[in-house]
Amino acid sequence: MFGKVENNPTLTLVFTAAIFLIFGYATSLPKITDFMIFCIFVIGFDLLYGHMGQLSFGHMLYLGAGAYGCGMFAYHVYPDPFLSLLAGVLLGALVAAVLGPLVVKTSAAAFALLNLALNEVGAYLVLSPWHKWTGGEDGLSLFFKKYGFINFQQSTFRFYFCLGSLLLVVYLVLRLVRSPYGNLLKAIKENEVRVKFLGYNTYVYKYITFIISGAIAAFAGALTSINLSYTNTSLISPARNVEVIFAALMGGAGSVIGAVVGGTAFMTISNYLAVYLIRWEMFLGFALLVFVFWIRKGIWGYVRKV
Amino acid sequence: MTSFIQSVLFGLTIGGILYIISIGLSLTFGAMGIVNFAHGLIYAVGAYAVYTVATILGAGFVVGVLAALAVSVPLSYVIERFVIRRLYGQSIDYAIIATYAILLIGADSLKWIYGASPLPIIDPIGKLWTFGSLQMPAYRVVIIGLSVLIFFGLSLFFKKTLVGKIVVAGLQDREAVRSLGIRVEKHFAIVFIIGSALAALGGVLYAPLSTLNPYMGFEILVLCFAVVIVGGMGNLRGTAIAAYSLGLVHSLSAAYIASSASDAMVYTVMAAVLIFRPIEA
Repeated sequence: MFGKVENNPTLTLVFTAAIFLIFGYATSLPKITDFMIFCIFVIGFDLLYGHMGQLSFGHMLYLGAGAYGCGMFAYHVYPDPFLSLLAGVLLGALVAAVLGPLVVKTSAAAFALLNLALNEVGAYLVLSPWHKWTGGEDGLSLFFKKYGFINFQQSTFRFYFCLGSLLLVVYLVLRLVRSPYGNLLKAIKENEVRVKFLGYNTYVYKYITFIISGAIAAFAGALTSINLSYTNTSLISPARNVEVIFAALMGGAGSVIGAVVGGTAFMTISNYLAVYLIRWEMFLGFALLVFVFWIRKGIWGYVRKV
Repeated sequence: MTSFIQSVLFGLTIGGILYIISIGLSLTFGAMGIVNFAHGLIYAVGAYAVYTVATILGAGFVVGVLAALAVSVPLSYVIERFVIRRLYGQSIDYAIIATYAILLIGADSLKWIYGASPLPIIDPIGKLWTFGSLQMPAYRVVIIGLSVLIFFGLSLFFKKTLVGKIVVAGLQDREAVRSLGIRVEKHFAIVFIIGSALAALGGVLYAPLSTLNPYMGFEILVLCFAVVIVGGMGNLRGTAIAAYSLGLVHSLSAAYIASSASDAMVYTVMAAVLIFRPIEA
């Protein structure tokens, strides 16, 4: 039953929208807005990890690039929400495009660690040398212009805007993954050497995917800074990379719905369970071990077969 | 000039510590293809063990060092036996995630036991050597000497002993060694434990230069990964050269750019090295 949903993009979108609407009105809209933004981030991350087979341990860099691109544009240039969003996405894509040639050449362990190191460099640059523009440790508190009903101060509007954004990202990534291009990504994940023998320049495909993934993460970052109406260093902190990795693994890597399920499940745990768990990191560690050793397909990997 | 020489000596100290910690990482990667984040936990446990024995119990630094080794060996055996051995030959991502999980659990346990606030350890030698206007804590000189000793000791170990030779051969071609009827994995496990004990020693040596905190493992680990990537994974001499060079980068950029810039500069150098010398890993 659930497997059918995955093969039908329209059904996927309807299901996603319905679940978040129910969830949103049953709990609280601002909270579910956070959930949906995180899901966008997980989808972007999973494009690299699940679909292309490269684990990045520094994807917070691109979330941060989006958040700071959006925040700095709104703070220093012009507080238009849409232009700021665009600035955030463009900055994320630009960072990915600049670092891509360096990162994409590597793979496996070196890929993961190089991303982590670059994330550390980014976090340092934002915190210290560029603090005049980024606000350093205090961050930037933001204010956005409103046009009629387009009012980002209103939590209901933010909820629907983020829901729309999530559906858009889900739709676009589904299209991408189901296209011949997506098949090629899957082939690169399985065996890159053979894809090269078929005459494809795998480097170009990996590079483009890296930029797309960075841009989606940056979009999530820009949405975060609009949603919170501030930007600070926690949005680029290398220590938070484990969250998105865990979410992707928990939901089921290599599936767009899996990413949404994982993002939602992780946010549910961290929002509701973490209140009762004093030893949150220990819990996270044991849960990660359980998923790595016993539940590799993730939640969605089992549910889709029902 | 004096301050320059001082920075160079400080850089060699940091380089020596980075070298001592990185050997284990480099060998684990070269031999087993596993990126071991749990290495950072062993490092932190070593430092906390010496704090417990030397500062809380007041038994002296040398006893503390022995205690650190005594704790780290069984702990690393458990990690090797129950986590890492189950991940041989599988996708490297799972090993990264699983060992990171161990690091999280361990760091949280340390926070549980010792609290989150930074703890100081006093310099166990506490003497300053003075040459003209140059001042150098004797402890740092001891660290540099110790790291050089370890370098030569390990070189001998890998050239002269049977275990060392098997491991070097296994790094080259695991299947060929196994076809001679040698259980390579067992020898790798021995090397893993040696590497972990050295990580604990690194934690012990670094603690008096800095402070202890539960997340110290995360902080040093990324630097050590930079060392391993620059030096070549599984390459012992490369690891040593990379460790001392990056240690110098670290202390010189702290002295001449900004103290907070040092880590970022190390990663920048690493990225620059990668541009010119791509790695196949």
